Amino acid sequence: MLPTLVVQSGRSAWKGPFFVAFPNLRQALENNIPIKTQARSCTILPNFVGLKFMVHNGKEYIPVAVTQDMVGHKLGEFAMTRKRFSYKATKNK
Amino acid sequence: MVHVLGKVLPDSQLVSFALTHFKGIGASTARRLCARIQVHDRCKIRDLTPAQLTAITSFLSAPSAAAPAPVHALAPPDYAPPPLGAPLPPAPQPAPSPRAKDTLLNVKLEAELQREVRENILHQRMIGSYVGRRHAMSLPVRGQQTQTNSKTAKKLNRVERHV
Repeated sequence: MLPTLVVQSGRSAWKGPFFVAFPNLRQALENNIPIKTQARSCTILPNFVGLKFMVHNGKEYIPVAVTQDMVGHKLGEFAMTRKRFSYKATKNK
Repeated sequence: MVHVLGKVLPDSQLVSFALTHFKGIGASTARRLCARIQVHDRCKIRDLTPAQLTAITSFLSAPSAAAPAPVHALAPPDYAPPPLGAPLPPAPQPAPSPRAKDTLLNVKLEAELQREVRENILHQRMIGSYVGRRHAMSLPVRGQQTQTNSKTAKKLNRVERHV
């Protein structure tokens, strides 16, 4: 028996999870249009399941398809902000 | 030297410390367990009675099925003792303690705990979150530096974590 995700997150239970209200949620679900957003700290709610998001990573928008298992996580967890370092040899030397 | 569930508990160690040899039991859980089976603070392993040892073993083999905490009746504020020489009236039966609040029942040990950790990492990896990716790259997960050090993460962090 696990406590609810609200309790696990360390946030006061009476506030509920932090989320951003997307006005075009229903349309996006019907027409399968990705929602472009910069709200990385928005909690993924159960009614987001099946939606597609374009989550800002500081530079560009990364596509994120929400599944059932992602509920309770934040949108930003699925859009990496860092690039893996890869060595490139300099040509003009 | 006492063997409990495949672990050797040295005679000279305090019971509350020796119990922390089990994965999943820390200092505070060990103290709680000692209180539950009525072992005092400075008791060493060699001083344990066989009954206490069996209590420890039975708890560790199945924490969720352990016996509930004993509840003893308290005297009400208006209690007047019977006159000297008269027999004591029978003690009132106290209400059993709520099992939901008993933290000792939710203790996870050894293999069960390891499996839980592994499942949590696998969940993160499956949904492709930042935590899961950092585990897969064997890098620190919680924002620690990686220019130097981060040796523990490089050693242990895998999808199938070396616990």
